[in-house]
Amino acid sequence: MSESTAPSVRVSRSRRSSIWMLVAGVVLLAALASLPYVVYANVTDLFVNFFILLTLGVTWNLLAGYAGLVSVGQQAYIGVGAYAVLVLAGDGMSPFLAIPLGALTAAIVSIPVSFIVLHLRGAYFAIATWVVAESFRLAVLRAPSLGGGTGATLYGLAGVDPAVREAFTYWAALAVAAATLIGCYVLLRTRFGLDLTAIRDNEVGARSVGVRIMQAKRIVYVVAAAGAGAAGALLIVSQLNVQAASIFSVQWSAYMIFVALIGGIGTVEGPILGTLAFFLLQQSLAERGAWYLIVVGAVAVLMAMFVPRGLWGLVGDRFRLRLFPTGYWVRPAR
Amino acid sequence: MTEAPLLELDGVSKRFGSIVVADSLSLSLGRADAVGIVGPNGAGKTSLFSLISGDLRPNAGDVRLDGRSITRLDPASRCRLGIARTYQVPRSFEHMTVFENVLVAVHRGAGLRGREAFGLAAQVLDETGLADTANERAGRLGLQQRKRLELARALGARPRLVLLDEVAAGLTDPEVEGLVQIVAGVRARGVAVVWVEHVVRALFGVVERLICLAAGKMIGDGEPRAVLASDAVRDVFLGTDYGEVAPG
Ligand SMILES: Nc1ncnc2c1ncn2[C@@H]1O[C@H](COP(=O)(O)OP(=O)(O)OP(=O)(O)O)[C@@H](O)[C@H]1O
Ligand SMILES: [Mg+2]
Repeated sequence: MSESTAPSVRVSRSRRSSIWMLVAGVVLLAALASLPYVVYANVTDLFVNFFILLTLGVTWNLLAGYAGLVSVGQQAYIGVGAYAVLVLAGDGMSPFLAIPLGALTAAIVSIPVSFIVLHLRGAYFAIATWVVAESFRLAVLRAPSLGGGTGATLYGLAGVDPAVREAFTYWAALAVAAATLIGCYVLLRTRFGLDLTAIRDNEVGARSVGVRIMQAKRIVYVVAAAGAGAAGALLIVSQLNVQAASIFSVQWSAYMIFVALIGGIGTVEGPILGTLAFFLLQQSLAERGAWYLIVVGAVAVLMAMFVPRGLWGLVGDRFRLRLFPTGYWVRPAR
Repeated sequence: MTEAPLLELDGVSKRFGSIVVADSLSLSLGRADAVGIVGPNGAGKTSLFSLISGDLRPNAGDVRLDGRSITRLDPASRCRLGIARTYQVPRSFEHMTVFENVLVAVHRGAGLRGREAFGLAAQVLDETGLADTANERAGRLGLQQRKRLELARALGARPRLVLLDEVAAGLTDPEVEGLVQIVAGVRARGVAVVWVEHVVRALFGVVERLICLAAGKMIGDGEPRAVLASDAVRDVFLGTDYGEVAPG
């Protein structure tokens, strides 16, 4: 192969310039950050729940949409994150500062677990993740120091002015959601991200060209655990208490799956749209009790049947739009 | 001391229940060799590739590269050591562009990054005639281009040995001719080629050795025309047109 025959190309990371997306993103972030100065806590509370759901949706999408790991047990790490904050705050640490440590604890716990569950495939993997979450719940029930079955109250925020506490909770949730989304996007733009995208499309093809599948899955599993841990840490900080039955509830997995499926699995944009859709549904049906679950379930089934690529599949393909360009665009060099 | 052959199979066997797809196969392949493999449907040709690439683990026997056993290595490691394959049923990354499909192989198989990686990917697309479709989604390609993408992705890993599984199947005569040119070019720059193909005519443009498989056994190995003319091979292909398509 002589070098002189090598064609030279210019490669950019998106078809169109993405500078406007960057500007819009920064403006949006600034607007969101100033929200506590503009609205009351009942509104910021809604946003906190939105950011928690977004964090869960984005990381579950990485797990299931890219690495092909359909987990129904991420609540294991939501719980680990929440209880880590409980313990650290009990030791006198500020609960806000404990949030990143909650994420870190979940990531660390997920490493040994990954050596068990990642050797299982498909439905066996899914069931195993759920069993892990249940074991964690049972372990907490047998730990009186963690409140056992009755739950535990978060210390460290009792003396803080509620308005200040709620504002900081909001900023913490915004920071976690933004970091998760940006982190996920940056990750997908790396060489490793291209590996993940290849695994998403065809695992056998990916390993045949040198992609180390198991290693990639382990990294994603740990990253997703960190995301779930951060979400759990936010949950305890916003609710000021934690109960094993609800924090380890499988309903969290149902939410994540819904958000990713509705929005469009295997895309960066999908879970954002999915979280919005889920949130609108939840808010508009809040007073209708059981109807809410029925409608959410029906929407999920209909979407899966008729719009398998999700809302972003409809919008993004129609307008050839990428809010978060992760690909490579080739132009012949002149 | 003589140099170890590029690839060696030593008594490799593989069964699926009662079906024997590789029956104590032994063969040896030198650097820059070009070998064709023929055999009836279900003979075990694709399985043989999978045993070499690591997609299948043998029940018995040893696979060696440069004299070192690779039997226990996974497909990704074998690819990084220089064995790349194509799949009979294409396994392209449907939602990624043609360029990105090849780039994955360049990153991991060839171990390049950045501009160097872009350069090799572009070069491979040029060599396989896919340069114009670089930004096209793989899922939108037609059959010919899809087959070429399989080849391009394998070449992106910068292999020393490439295993081609029916890359000419379903193509028109001029398309087959174009493909033969490409494979001949790959071979000419020192890459060993093993090519499974029912279109024997295509093989004659590239290979100097032909192996015939039937029911997991090698029933012919040698100069292509001699192999096709042998009684054992003629028996297996009785009633098919293999004999006639061999030119000359
Ligand atoms: N994973 C598997 N499990 C069970 N049987 C298999 C498996 N893979 C292949 N076989 C069987 O092994 C036999 C050999 O298959 P193989 O694909 O190697 O044949 P082939 O020579 O490539 O055939 P073709 O010309 O049709 O591509 C076939 O009978 C096939 O059905
Ligand atoms: Mg085959």
